[in-house]
Amino acid sequence: MSDPALGLLMLTLIIVVIMLGFPTAFTLMGLGMMFGFVAFYDPTHAWSQNRVFDLIVERTYGAMNNESLISIPLFVLMGYVMERGALVDKMFYSIQLAFRGVPASLAVATLIVCTFWGIASGLVGAVVVLMGVIAFNPMLKAGYDVKLASGVITAGGTLGILIPPSVMIIVYAAVAGQSVVKLYASAMFPGFFLSFLYLVYIIGWALIDPKIAPKSETKIPVSDWVRRFQDAYSRNMLVGLLRAAVAPRKAAGIEIGGRPMTYRAVLANLLAALFPLFLCAVTLWGIWWYVVIHPLADVQAPAPMAVPAQKSAAPAEKAAAQEDKPQELGATTSESESTAAKEPETLQEMGDPTLVREGGASLASAGPPPEFFMYFWIVVAVTALVLLWYYIKMQAEQFELLKLLTTSVMPLGILTLVVLAVILFGITTATESAAIGAAGAFLMGFQAKTLDWERVKQSIFLTAKTTAMVCWLFVGSALFSGVFAILGGQQLVEQWVLSFNLTPLQFMIVSQAIIFVLGWPLEWTEIIVIFVPIFLPLLKHFNIDPILWGTLVFVNLQAAFLSPPVAMSAFYLKGVSPPHVTLNQIFAGMMPYMLVVILCMVIMYVWPGMTLWLPNYLYGNAGG
Amino acid sequence: MNAQKFLNGIDRISTWAGKASAWLILTLTIVVCVEVFKRYILNAPTSFIFDVNNMMYGTLFMMCGAYTLAQNGHVRGDFLYSSMRPRTQAWLDLVLYLAFFIPGILGLIYAGYDYALDSWRIREHSNVTADGPPVYQFKAIIPIAGALVMMQGLAEIMRCVMCLKTGQWPDRLKDAEEIDVVEQQLATSVYVDQESRERAIASVHEIDEAARQRGMGADAKL
Repeated sequence: MSDPALGLLMLTLIIVVIMLGFPTAFTLMGLGMMFGFVAFYDPTHAWSQNRVFDLIVERTYGAMNNESLISIPLFVLMGYVMERGALVDKMFYSIQLAFRGVPASLAVATLIVCTFWGIASGLVGAVVVLMGVIAFNPMLKAGYDVKLASGVITAGGTLGILIPPSVMIIVYAAVAGQSVVKLYASAMFPGFFLSFLYLVYIIGWALIDPKIAPKSETKIPVSDWVRRFQDAYSRNMLVGLLRAAVAPRKAAGIEIGGRPMTYRAVLANLLAALFPLFLCAVTLWGIWWYVVIHPLADVQAPAPMAVPAQKSAAPAEKAAAQEDKPQELGATTSESESTAAKEPETLQEMGDPTLVREGGASLASAGPPPEFFMYFWIVVAVTALVLLWYYIKMQAEQFELLKLLTTSVMPLGILTLVVLAVILFGITTATESAAIGAAGAFLMGFQAKTLDWERVKQSIFLTAKTTAMVCWLFVGSALFSGVFAILGGQQLVEQWVLSFNLTPLQFMIVSQAIIFVLGWPLEWTEIIVIFVPIFLPLLKHFNIDPILWGTLVFVNLQAAFLSPPVAMSAFYLKGVSPPHVTLNQIFAGMMPYMLVVILCMVIMYVWPGMTLWLPNYLYGNAGG
Repeated sequence: MNAQKFLNGIDRISTWAGKASAWLILTLTIVVCVEVFKRYILNAPTSFIFDVNNMMYGTLFMMCGAYTLAQNGHVRGDFLYSSMRPRTQAWLDLVLYLAFFIPGILGLIYAGYDYALDSWRIREHSNVTADGPPVYQFKAIIPIAGALVMMQGLAEIMRCVMCLKTGQWPDRLKDAEEIDVVEQQLATSVYVDQESRERAIASVHEIDEAARQRGMGADAKL
């Protein structure tokens, strides 16, 4: 048997054995070992000197030293801790109240919680079960269409594997030899764009046919003390609280939970009321810092923690929408940062920030363009106006809602945005921000008093198991693909594919279709680690950017995991739904979302700028 | 019964080794955070930290291989597998363990042993930085982890044999599961009514099982 034929046999065997359900990591190792032994067989040497042994140990040691994979345990830990520390039901409740004016508000709130949750973790099953209990029954009770309700939960639940920081992206980066940071940047817009498309679909459907999502009258519960506080000071809560801070005597007469309102309670409430202001200020200052100060800064630049925080507060949303502009305009200026970030990431990881920073500093003397200042101040003015309007209208309901949101959504939102922003703006490496994120998740959980020793232990053991699963699979596939390439199987596949004379578009469609079909029976780990490497070398022939292709794969797997009748999330939802909901109804609810995903992929292909603009803007075109 | 005890003993060794190294993740988090502080705020990066981080991460995942195997946590294409009867599963597993697992892991142990021995002999140090920390003990993890996985694999083979005899999979040790989060989240929930909470918590493990089988399991209730 010739070597390439052995390679093909190897590929066939791996598919068969995976289907048989043997742990994939060991299948890969075993097959790699045996075929490698044959491939390296040299009659002049003793069998114990076979070079396959060098290969396996090198590949193993390579995985143990892989600088992309090292962030996996940290991100996974962050996810598990957040999952245990966040209060999902409170989050759902407050978001639902915040969006009570929007059509199909419960479905919208479900989607938003799923998106947030997706940022935190990548577990499909747990999200769908939880949202099934927390949101599905309320939606059915409110008279929502079963298809709408089930579709939004199953589709929202799978978002987690796509939205950064996701483990899938790290694994792809390790497999494809791309930078994790760049892939995160490229998955950013498609991920949020997809959840935006879902949102458009839900609201659009509810507008066209209001019957499917009857409006439910939800009032924000206002606690007793707030009412009396309003009587004592002012209808407007901010004015009232400010007055109370100056003259706390009347406040002492008001009882909160059976105890008189202390001065500390007044200050705490005032701080909560000022939170949106604070958030906007920090965001704007962060932009200022990133565009104006950061390029000039030496290593003693102020702590980078403040940059992010965009788009978190509901009231700050309008302002946030415009905040993107100044960054865009800063494009020319920020070239200095791009150059800085172009320095290979390894340098930063190896503990040499000065080198990178110096590159930035010397180039940055030009400063930001004059338009930046104009637009920046316009944005500041608009933000100030929105805030002013918000505070003038702040009555008891708004105040209660704000307090609910600050305790449930804000910690999670701010933490994830800090983590993402710190990576994306190239301030720290992926590993470092993952560690900060994990530490932040612990702090968040302890602050909310939701974490106890038992849960910490659980998160750590679960992290260990997940990491071991992914990394052993990586070891196995590294050996497998090494042997596959040596046998010439890779070359054979390449020649075979090239013999079809496909156009890049055809190749793109064929490769994505294959991945889509593989997504039915397999998990993402197996697809990314075993099958993606077979396509990767072909991308060069067709002149396709591996970053664009990879991002399309991530979105594609969303569709695969939503396709009936194999989608696991449907079965999870069925498990917690009332008996009258049938599996077919859930499948019917998922179908439109699958089409939305495919629409998203078409848009991404037609308009690659959506995927590639952010990585190119942040890190420049070169390198990679 | 004795066989079950023996199995549990091996499971416990793997689990203990895995859980002990699992704590490295906490150390890794702290070390990286401290390093971030030192580097970006004090401008005093530590030169050997890159190697140390890698060692912690590498040791973590290698040593947890056996633990994950003991908990059946390695990803498997369970689309068809989960719809088979236990006896069929055991047959398949038994054959595949002998055919793939044993040669693969034996190779890893043998190669890893040589590799570590060479490194140990010259007291190898890392060459990432000029004065790198020693790496020979890190390389020794490869054969050690391999041996642990092999031992656990033999236990799994024994499980297959026992299952072939009795028609039922022997028990595994109880451990944290991903789906547990549902219970933790719902237990303290104030916005979900009591009844649906209790129902969900009671049935969550069954739901997980059924969903993995995608309604095709031997005793599917969906």
